[in-house]
Parts: sequence; structure tokens; C-alpha cells
Amino acid sequence: MEDKFYLTKEGLEKIKKEYKDILLLKQEKIHTDTPVAFHSEELDTEFVVFKEDLELIEAREADLEYILKNAVLIEKPTQKEQGQVGLGAKVLVDVNGETDELILVGTLEANPIEGKISNESPVGKALFGKKVGDIVQLNSPIVVNYKIKRINY
Amino acid sequence: MDAALKFLINVGELKDRKRRGWLANKVPNCETTASHIFRMSLMAWVLAKKKKLNIEKVVKMALIHDICEVFATDETPYDPLLPANFDSLTDQQKAEEILKKWPKLSLAQKKKRADLKRKREEKSLLKLLSGVDENFKNEIIGLWNDFEKGISKEGRFTKQIDKAENFLQGMEYWKKYGKIQRDLWLRWAKEIFDDPIIIDFIKTIEKDIVKKK
Repeated sequence: MEDKFYLTKEGLEKIKKEYKDILLLKQEKIHTDTPVAFHSEELDTEFVVFKEDLELIEAREADLEYILKNAVLIEKPTQKEQGQVGLGAKVLVDVNGETDELILVGTLEANPIEGKISNESPVGKALFGKKVGDIVQLNSPIVVNYKIKRINY
Repeated sequence: MDAALKFLINVGELKDRKRRGWLANKVPNCETTASHIFRMSLMAWVLAKKKKLNIEKVVKMALIHDICEVFATDETPYDPLLPANFDSLTDQQKAEEILKKWPKLSLAQKKKRADLKRKREEKSLLKLLSGVDENFKNEIIGLWNDFEKGISKEGRFTKQIDKAENFLQGMEYWKKYGKIQRDLWLRWAKEIFDDPIIIDFIKTIEKDIVKKK
């Protein structure tokens, strides 16, 4: 499941920036006791913690390196492929009579509370490759029909 | 007062804090935040053993993931549509209507809600940890951010365990009281889980609890 991390351009930039910040913080931590790179009032609490603890910095550095090493950028599909649901697609669906909007993303960016559905979830897998007008049926103890109404990239 | 004692007294409040989602569904004698944390920690331990994960990290993450609720509201996917509380009959009826359908929010509204929730919870966590031992504080903040952002394997897994425990509790309440919108929950499960171990576990719940009513 975690051999490849499919990331949108925005998601990849975010990870790269965090990695760059961590390396900078590590350098400052090694060379001085009080890093100066991050001293804004709006500072992310996580970086406050990292200021204090080299072990935590290195653990996060390793996690980010692993992600970047296995990252695959989600490219905008060709005109022809844009008619199909793929990674990065914003999909308007009718689910058993109710309209909902989803974005298909890789597992790292998945956040259902934001409408970002993983391509490895049962719904993500079922929608993948489908076109406007297609109906996808998921069977569990109940039957749920997802009708694709619109696809945007 | 000693900072560690103050922290433990504050966290102890979660033993009596009934979870908002169940209150909205009028579940009798519903579970508290601490009850959810308790079983989720055990679930994380049991299921993480099936993967090559750091069990200590996973269990600690489960233990601290909701402690920010001491000073922050326990939010449901239906907030901010739901009334602030469910004391009056009018508010209970309003909640009942809202809960019948999937919450209709645009992608922008969903993102805004998630960002605000995170900011509120982060502020609450810092307040809760004020004055405690720095190393302990740093470890908790590190674990909480990892859980929220899903940067490590453990963070991504524990985030889904949180939802899996919620799903199990929901299906148990549905079986016992019939108060839960079962069909919406079953649909929700197909969208939010993507870890194969957890997907299998959800299928087991569906087979052993949902189908046997």
C-alpha cells in the first residue's frame, strides 16, 4: 500500500517545504542551542517542539525522506483522459439521490472531512477510470450507487 | 497546584464528557470521550500488531489524540449544521432532521471547517499542556501533529483506527437502540478507510454485527 505516494503538486510542494524547513532547523539545532529560523508569533507548534528535541527532528526528517523518495507527482491528464476519473479529479456524484463532491487523491492527502477520498478506498477504487453518466455500485450490507455527474481537473 | 496533577485532573474530565455525535443521535447513556480513547488504544494495539509498526507510538498516539477536547468542542461531521446543544425539544428535532442526510457542504466549506477545527484543537492542546514537563509536552505535541498530518506510517494508521472505533461503536448503538443512520455510516465507511487491515476489520464488523441484527 505504501510503496508509492501519489501527491498533487500542492501536496508535494508542502512536503518539500516541510523537509527543507526540517533540514534548516536541524542545522541550526546542531550549531546553536537556540534556532533562529522560526520565531514568528504564528509559529507552527510542531516547530516549537522540534526546536527542543533533535531526536524528534531526525524522526520527522526520516519520515519525510521516505515520502519524498517514494513520491509520484499526479500529472494533469491529457484532454482525452480528462473524461475519466483519475487521481486529482474533482468528481460531482449523486449518491442514492444525494449530491456530493469528492476529490480523488493518494493516501497521504486523503482527508474525508475535506472531501478528499483515497484512491485506495473502496469508493476511490470503484470510481477510478469511470466516466460521466457511469453508475458505480458498492455492495456491503447495503447497496450504494454513485452516479458520476461531472468530472473536473 | 503541581502542573502534572493539574494536567491529570483536566484530562480526567473526559471520563464524564459524553460524545457530541451520540448526544445528537439521542443515544441513551452514551459513551464519553475517555471511553472512546480506551477502546481505540486497545484496537490500535491489536490491529497494529498485524503491521510492522511501532506499537508504543501507535498506542501513545491513540491515548493523546483527543485530549485537546478538554478545552475544545468535540465536533462531528455534521457541525456546524447542528445546534450547539440538544437540551430543548426544538433543537433535538432539528438535529434529527439534519442527521437523516449526508452533510451537504462544498469542498471549500469542508476545507475551511477542517482548518478551523485544527486551529481550535491546537490552541486547546497548548492550554492543556501548559506548565507540564517540557519533554513530555514536546512528545505529546509531536505525536498529535503526526496523528493530524499523517506523516508517519503510525500516524496514518492511527487516524483510521480512530474512525474504525467510532464505526464499531456506531454499529453497536444501531444494533442496541436503532438510533443511528446505519446506511449513511456504511456508505461513509467505504469512503474513509483505505488501509487493507482496517478494511478487513470493517468487513468483519459488517458481517458479525450489522448482518446479525
